[in-house]
Amino acid sequence: MITLYDFELSGNCYKLRLMMSILGVRYDIVPVDFYPGREHKSDWFLKLNPFGELPVLVDDGLVLRDSQAILVYLARKYDTTGKWFPVDDPALTAEIEIWHDFANRITGTASAARLTITMNYDFDLEKAQSGAHQLFRTMDEHLWFAEREGREWLCKADHPTTADIACFPYTALSEEGGISRQDYPAIRRWLDRVRRIEGFTAMSGVFPASRAREAS
Amino acid sequence: MTQTMTDIRHPAWHPIASSEDLPFRHVYHGQLLGQEFAVWRADDGNVNVWENRCLHRGVRLSIGLNEGAELKCQYHGWRYANRSAGCTYIPAHPADAPARRITNRTFPAVESLGLVWSAMGDVTPFAPPLPEGNWMPLRPLPVNARPGAVLAALTAAREAESDVESLPPLGARLVLTGVDGRAAVFFVQPVDSGRAVIRGVVEAESWDDQLSLLRLFNERLSTLRRQVEAEMALEEAPEPLVPVYEPVSLELATMPDLRFGRQAKLRVRVARKWQAGADVTGLELAALEGHLPTFQPGAHLDLFLPNGLIRQYSITNGPGELLSYTVGVKREPDSRGGSVAIADELREGDVVAISEPRNNFPLRRDATRTILIAGGIGITPLLAMAKTLASSRLPFELHVFARSPEHVAFPEALDKLGESVVPHIGLDPAGTAAEIEQLVSGYGFARHLYVCGPGPMLDLVRRRTAEAGWPEEAVHFEYFKNVNEIDLSSTFTVELARSALTLAIPSGKSILEVMRENGVDAPSSCEQGACGTCLTTVLEGIPDHQDVYLNDTERRSNSCMMTCVSRAKSDRLVLDI
Repeated sequence: MITLYDFELSGNCYKLRLMMSILGVRYDIVPVDFYPGREHKSDWFLKLNPFGELPVLVDDGLVLRDSQAILVYLARKYDTTGKWFPVDDPALTAEIEIWHDFANRITGTASAARLTITMNYDFDLEKAQSGAHQLFRTMDEHLWFAEREGREWLCKADHPTTADIACFPYTALSEEGGISRQDYPAIRRWLDRVRRIEGFTAMSGVFPASRAREAS
Repeated sequence: MTQTMTDIRHPAWHPIASSEDLPFRHVYHGQLLGQEFAVWRADDGNVNVWENRCLHRGVRLSIGLNEGAELKCQYHGWRYANRSAGCTYIPAHPADAPARRITNRTFPAVESLGLVWSAMGDVTPFAPPLPEGNWMPLRPLPVNARPGAVLAALTAAREAESDVESLPPLGARLVLTGVDGRAAVFFVQPVDSGRAVIRGVVEAESWDDQLSLLRLFNERLSTLRRQVEAEMALEEAPEPLVPVYEPVSLELATMPDLRFGRQAKLRVRVARKWQAGADVTGLELAALEGHLPTFQPGAHLDLFLPNGLIRQYSITNGPGELLSYTVGVKREPDSRGGSVAIADELREGDVVAISEPRNNFPLRRDATRTILIAGGIGITPLLAMAKTLASSRLPFELHVFARSPEHVAFPEALDKLGESVVPHIGLDPAGTAAEIEQLVSGYGFARHLYVCGPGPMLDLVRRRTAEAGWPEEAVHFEYFKNVNEIDLSSTFTVELARSALTLAIPSGKSILEVMRENGVDAPSSCEQGACGTCLTTVLEGIPDHQDVYLNDTERRSNSCMMTCVSRAKSDRLVLDI
């Protein structure tokens, strides 16, 4: 049985809830009071993750940290289609890893801005926001040209991968950090597509999309 | 050819999005001159440009849900209709029709050259700034700089002076170096005082590899953006523009006209007249220009006939269909002349007068299951309800009772509703009773039933649902006409509390008539106790109900009445008028 050490408002924890919801994996939750309790820095949690960071996932005694690493683990272990983290195409695997790294950069900027505004963290807000805008410009351009090439997702595949799940939460929550997505129409369309993946689940601040139906 | 800030505030058409920015069921977040927009394409292709603000709690509608014909606010689910932006449903008041005045601010929208254009303030009608052709929009490039500075940088980047042609507003046809010497046309969208979007178009036919062309332009413009933004970083950021909040129209800002008796407010053209069923004439009543007012499913309108008669017809349209209203008229040779006048005299192309839509038969959208039962021409309001429920994929069944397959009206519309439509054809009264008994047998929590049809059928449904344990508030009905014998013999006194007037009602005259004789007007429509328009609150006294609109609980409450037919059992009535 899987146990997720979880904070409801954390985008990185939501990432795993989203992946497990899509894969139809059942799991238990142990709530960790990240804010205002700072329980992720408590002695009991530091034994689980010496970095004192959420999320932590425990599967049958195996303790895992780092949301992107856990995404890969979940996809490799529980995704019977093999599409969420394909390993038979080296180029595609590398491309997914590039976007996993990109997701960390989004966390370092957009999430930092959000923590500053909503949870009283003491980051340089302006720097975090402008850093996120730089990333979103790159991402919007990438997605705009992907659409021109007939693709809907971050990587060169005709289906979503863990790259899309990894980049989704803090992009979708960016406005809580004062980062408008008005200038990124291709990102906004991609957010709609992610929200229409079967098994999608929402969180506070991330809303469902309207039903997509084929135009008749 | 730099432009100053005063120039950009001059009313003009500006591109605000690419057409391809509005894919199926998406809401685009736009902005022009400091005014934010929610931009969405309805399933019928219409582009809506609205103020980006829900009228309820001010939440951005750009995070709302495009449901194809209505935009639903993400916060409390208020719904607004395609074209009019009028509110069609408030989930916290599921049993009520929203007031007509709850209408969001709309802006004009035109699609041309692959771009969506809008404007603020008084502008002349849109004229394409370029000849129509095979224009391909480039990737739009947002720039954090003054729009005037962006245009200046663009024109400075030209290859040859002779190739530059300026286009109003904030547009230029020019050649960018490194792009094969081909001309492109750029428009600078003034998003705000310090923000702009470069929207370019090129003629697509002349290029073999569109993708590499798009990339080339994107690179070139990105370089230009870096330069402009670096220069802007040295300047002090301009104050953001404050959007102009124009006062809402007088019609929406004031209380409705007190003279709202039966008023022929709108003119419509009979766009189509056809045989919609064996004894039913279909009428499509089209707006003379623009669109018609917002309606909700269940609404009816008064049709003012050339022979002076006024008749009520339910609107059969689906949500967001506001270019015309479609109604069905049953031909009844023994009627008082309304249906015959329509069938024989009204022609396609005729202009007729109608009232604004009015809804006394509103549809709840929070039922776990909705059962619609139509008898004959009673299909019309239920067709609008079925289309709305189908559009939101809410569970419903539409039972259509008719004499023969040919007597089923609007068969094409019913076909589109698929398996939710259950026909019951050619049943005798006993057969009908047996079917209805079965239909209403399973009451479940939060189920709602709507029935419209001949009087005996409605009486039957109301009796059977009561026996089957349906609560009265879950059974909604609309009679075509009052089936009661109206007894006008009583005499009594009516006090109008708010008007401070006491009126003596003689036998032979209705309360409504006496009120009007004394200069007090009130809304009315059918004036025979069927439609519910003249519903009035009773403060004191016991009404003598003679209508077919109120249900038994409402009658017993002695708190409301229909002034067009109902009278008083007590000597005195006090009304909230």
